[in-house]
Amino acid sequence: MKSAMRFPILASAAALAMSVLTGYAASQTASTTLDSPERFISIADTGARSTAIFTELGKVLTHPRCVNCHPAGDRPHQGDASRLHQPPVVRGVDGHGTETMRCSICHQNANFDPGRVPGHPEWHLAPREMAWEGKTLAEICAQIKDPARNGGRTLEDLVHHIGTDTLVGWAWHPGFGRTPAPGTQQEAGALVDAWIRTGAVCPAG
Amino acid sequence: MTKLAITINGRTLNPTEVRDELTMNDFLREHLGMTGTKFGCGAAQCLSCAVIVDNPDGTSYTSPTCIVSAASFDGKAIRTVEGHAKNGELSALQKAFIEHFAFQCGYCTSGFLNEAQVLLERLAKTPVERAELEETIADALDGHLCRCTGYIKYHEAVRDVILADAKRYLAANK
Repeated sequence: MKSAMRFPILASAAALAMSVLTGYAASQTASTTLDSPERFISIADTGARSTAIFTELGKVLTHPRCVNCHPAGDRPHQGDASRLHQPPVVRGVDGHGTETMRCSICHQNANFDPGRVPGHPEWHLAPREMAWEGKTLAEICAQIKDPARNGGRTLEDLVHHIGTDTLVGWAWHPGFGRTPAPGTQQEAGALVDAWIRTGAVCPAG
Repeated sequence: MTKLAITINGRTLNPTEVRDELTMNDFLREHLGMTGTKFGCGAAQCLSCAVIVDNPDGTSYTSPTCIVSAASFDGKAIRTVEGHAKNGELSALQKAFIEHFAFQCGYCTSGFLNEAQVLLERLAKTPVERAELEETIADALDGHLCRCTGYIKYHEAVRDVILADAKRYLAANK
């Protein structure tokens, strides 16, 4: 009796495990890719298409790789869980840390995976006025279009900032233990460009 | 492999090849046998691994070594706990640490010592008012963890060294 019951139980367990894993894999696939602008051509209304494109770009803008260094306060966050940065560093006057605790002391020119430390020559926090943490996509959209809150950038500058800036590009090559931003930097840049060409319309809300 | 040329405690080492994934902490402790620099949390949170890095302009700062590659120190000059005593005589900070019984297990001591030394050198260049001293010391030592909770004793030891040479470190006495 025991051996007769064993197979159905094992089979059920395996089926359950597979369904869980399949669902997990599917969700991972969905969250790690970006649709191209062409995917939205079927939306006839230009404003609605623009909004849809920005919403797709929002997968990048709201990803921990981006928001962690666009914090609402003076401390960066870290990890996929966006916990507060440890050790407890703060932005300082120029976003590169305090006089005695500069970002570059630990964050070198490139990722150092043995120490689990990400790196880039310009590692620093986004300015306080560019904080995205806790904001809706609509709020981030309005903010990203406002030169007073986007680092003095024109809309065309945003294509470069998101599409080719190497510090932003780190988000797609974050090193050990950190999930990359969805898609590729080139794809994100293409979405910004398409969003602007369709009127840079923001989502409602 | 990367070539590493470094000066440690005033002694320039012959350039040596190091693995790119080698941490500075392992280089000091395992390659050079300089075990005064500790390995604590391994995540730059306790700073028991901190060493002094000397800038060419005469300023200095502390850096953790547990999460930073040895190769990134190429061309730099650093000081470790082994370099503080001169001709067998402990530095003023080291003596004060002992007089205050600042440390018990001693694991955090080298990090605190290096941080306090950087503070002294900064104050010698940019003195602060006496009224600002307590906060200045607290800010400087902030981030260093002591599991034996010797924080106040470390603070008092550093304060004693500064007050003993107030003309050098405090603005009001210049």
